[in-house]
Amino acid sequence: MPLIRLSDVTKIYGAENKHPFTALAGVSLQIEAGEFAAIMGPSGSGKSTLMHILGCLDTPTTGEYHLEGDNVDRLRGDQLAAIRNKKIGFVFQGFNLIPRTNAVENVELPMLYSNTPPEERRRRAAEALRRMGLAGWEGNRPNELSGGQQQRVAIARAIVNDAPLILADEPTGNLDTKTSAEIMELFVRINREEGKTIILVTHEADIAAYSRRIIRVRDGLIVDDERREGR
Amino acid sequence: MKIIPIALRNISRKRVRSAITIGSMAFAGFIMLFFAALGQGMLYTMEQNAVGVYLGDIQIHAPGYRSDPDLYTRVPDPAALVDKLEKAGFHAAPRLYGFGLAAASGNSSGIWMRGVDLIREPKVTLLDRQVMEGAWLSADKPKEVVIGKKLAYTLGVKPGGEIVVVSQAADGAMANDIYHVRGILKSVGDAVDQGGFLMVDAEFRRLMGVAEGTHEIAVARVDKDRILAEAADTVASLAPGMEVKTWRDLQPVLAKMIDVMDISLLFMLFIAYSAVGMVILNATLMNVFERIREFGVMKAIGVTPPQVFSLIMAEAVLEAVIANVLALGAGIPVVRYFEVHGIDLSNFSSGASLAGLALDPVWYCKLNTKALTMPVWFMFAVVLAAVIYPAMKAALLKPLDAMHHQ
Repeated sequence: MPLIRLSDVTKIYGAENKHPFTALAGVSLQIEAGEFAAIMGPSGSGKSTLMHILGCLDTPTTGEYHLEGDNVDRLRGDQLAAIRNKKIGFVFQGFNLIPRTNAVENVELPMLYSNTPPEERRRRAAEALRRMGLAGWEGNRPNELSGGQQQRVAIARAIVNDAPLILADEPTGNLDTKTSAEIMELFVRINREEGKTIILVTHEADIAAYSRRIIRVRDGLIVDDERREGR
Repeated sequence: MKIIPIALRNISRKRVRSAITIGSMAFAGFIMLFFAALGQGMLYTMEQNAVGVYLGDIQIHAPGYRSDPDLYTRVPDPAALVDKLEKAGFHAAPRLYGFGLAAASGNSSGIWMRGVDLIREPKVTLLDRQVMEGAWLSADKPKEVVIGKKLAYTLGVKPGGEIVVVSQAADGAMANDIYHVRGILKSVGDAVDQGGFLMVDAEFRRLMGVAEGTHEIAVARVDKDRILAEAADTVASLAPGMEVKTWRDLQPVLAKMIDVMDISLLFMLFIAYSAVGMVILNATLMNVFERIREFGVMKAIGVTPPQVFSLIMAEAVLEAVIANVLALGAGIPVVRYFEVHGIDLSNFSSGASLAGLALDPVWYCKLNTKALTMPVWFMFAVVLAAVIYPAMKAALLKPLDAMHHQ
């Protein structure tokens, strides 16, 4: 059973309007557990929309989306929230850490709303930060961390709930080349050592080169699906 | 999810914003408490003027006396009745009344004489504390009287001044004597102010030839929380055949006016509190809008809409709890101060009366249950009402829209 199965998914914005915009024009896609895939495409190609649907942040207009065998395309908001909490970890381009909240508390956030005991929460958050090379930075707030460190905190937050799927939207978009490489190495490690499925959206070929599968999107359609050796 | 610790954590996380919100709520709460206490104080003073200074809670008369206040229509054996009332949890003071003519310094005026039981009257009313000039009655000085403020002005007398009194005694003979002014009352009500002539009860009996009975027994509840109507029923059962009236029956206009003022006070409080509600709504809305991206992230990582809604509500309620504690902490000592010292408006108004009873130009606060709880409950109600919209808005935000909010 694939981890992700999309069947003829479309996404039309403003379907009721005179000039609707078709972001996805019928995408079918399967991703197995443990894959490391990159979605590439120019601006407006539909790659971010595809990522949002994969992350249950948006729902398709038509078509079906199965995650771990469960049909999730018609679920209610709270049901989608539960899936995002348990099955998906997000890493965003802008880090999206909670301001005025230190690193360990940011990492605790997904567990904060799921009845995890405080001691367990703190232990797991500190461990996730350690794995991201941020031991000793637990008490620092986002404004006291570099961009690379903030993204590491965001990755720690994405993995802390042990979700099988990590979605990264332009995770290196705000970072310099050296830091970008470090962050990508972290993704490779998480994929190889922990077996997490990683899907990242990028328009940079050297970032996509870290993955073992590159899915190219243009005009709302998958135009190429290349399997390759990752770095 | 344990919502309270998370809400507390969020409040402490954004200290400046929370301090501003809680501070404005606490200030509003303080004002509301003071305003409510002042309003309650005004009503209390009015009621006190009616009940505590003049009427008593309940009055007992012989049938027909109120419609025709005749010297001969008296409550028989008042000592026995007073004794029964005191055993039943009341204070009671017998009073004697008669009419006459007073003259002094070439001036004259009709007077309303009142024989006062010097031991019992102070337990029922505060009349003995209303002396403006001179002193209260003394059993040792039966020829010294206390008179109303306007009567003193009409007769042109001051404490120590001489007054000649003429009346008709119970036996039909002429009653006349010379008295000296011992004290002048401050304004307590039109009837007392214009014609009040208070004397020791024994002297009244001697002057007017009234050996037995009394014209009125004023009754006060020892336990002020005892329901007035039930207390009146008890008094009526102890005084069969007598006419028993509560102060509300005796002064229906005043009673109605106090009821109306109580309601209008609520209305005024509602208007004031609504303004406060707008402050709270504004603070809460700003708080939510400032955190839209944060809510977007929370929702993206799996926080459900009801959890977001509950969290914002919990934060607002906790802020209201803290604000109420601060408001009460600061407000109670201030209200207590003005319970004792009052706000003196005598420069702006004096001698005003309502339904024949004087209005006190000094406004005192009164910290009763109503004044204390009304602002607290109202603040919670306003906070909950004010926060529903922003909480709903945050709960219904789409994670993507919220995260991309500028």
